[in-house]
Amino acid sequence: MIHVYLPDLGENITKATISYWYFERGAAVTEGSDLVEVATDKATFNVPAPCSGTLVEITAHEGDVARPGDVLATIEEDTVTDGDDDDREINATG
Amino acid sequence: MKLPGLSENRILSYAASRILDVGPLDYEEALALQKKIVAEVISGWGTETLIICEHPPVVTYGRRTLQENFLVSFDELRALGIGVYPADRGGDVTYHGPGQIVFYPILDLRRRGRDLHFYLRQLELCVINALRGRFGLNAYRKEGLTGVWVGPYKVASIGIGVKNWVTYHGLALNVATDMAPFETIRACGGDGRMAAIASFFRDEDLPVQEVKECLVESFREIFFQTDGRPTP
Repeated sequence: MIHVYLPDLGENITKATISYWYFERGAAVTEGSDLVEVATDKATFNVPAPCSGTLVEITAHEGDVARPGDVLATIEEDTVTDGDDDDREINATG
Repeated sequence: MKLPGLSENRILSYAASRILDVGPLDYEEALALQKKIVAEVISGWGTETLIICEHPPVVTYGRRTLQENFLVSFDELRALGIGVYPADRGGDVTYHGPGQIVFYPILDLRRRGRDLHFYLRQLELCVINALRGRFGLNAYRKEGLTGVWVGPYKVASIGIGVKNWVTYHGLALNVATDMAPFETIRACGGDGRMAAIASFFRDEDLPVQEVKECLVESFREIFFQTDGRPTP
């Protein structure tokens, strides 16, 4: 499980409002894609997905206020399937 | 670099950074152009760019804009010849139109300190320096708010979007703008009365081009070194 944190957005920025989730819980997300938009003052900031996987939990919802370091969501990382594929091939031919 | 859909690109500088003065441009096209350059800069292959343009009449609003900040319906706006467009930027509802200089800087904040509010203050400073230096206007910022004021009037609105620490959207300075359409909205959520800087001069023909050149110079001083590299 990988947590998505609100990053440090600058000196003296102690909080930001969650303004938009690009995905719903349960969705597949890709590393680097826009995950959630937060707003502070007259700026919006897109927090990217830190890994590819399934968005299993959203902790901070639209309208909530979060602080840098707060967990916004949790992603279950995609598992590497190379080894499984090899096993299947062995079974199929065995 | 040829940019699709733009026939009159005027490249004022071309180095580690560049300035594109594209003239009149639909809001939607400007947004598409910004996103294209943002993606290039994020990839590490793009060039930091200042897009300068002027929009046909359009009201734009952010995700958090309250319905009450629209004083007329969307249909009424359209009947007045004013487009309506949702924008993924910070800030509230605002109006763009002829006579207004719009700056959309695509800058990589990964190389500039990763500080959203500091960047907002730099944009304000860009406008303040331009208006104070050449035009002698007592432009200032207000504590706790974002934008630039002259006397009791707000003259420049600022709202930014940041994606992977690369900026888009930016600032709009009312130079010779028809301010009547601002009466259809509570601009920027009600930050105060808006005015065009031409109204501070006896001769209302304050040349937009001259103001633009001052603003570009101010921008260069703050954001680009003379060789086009980002200021550390």
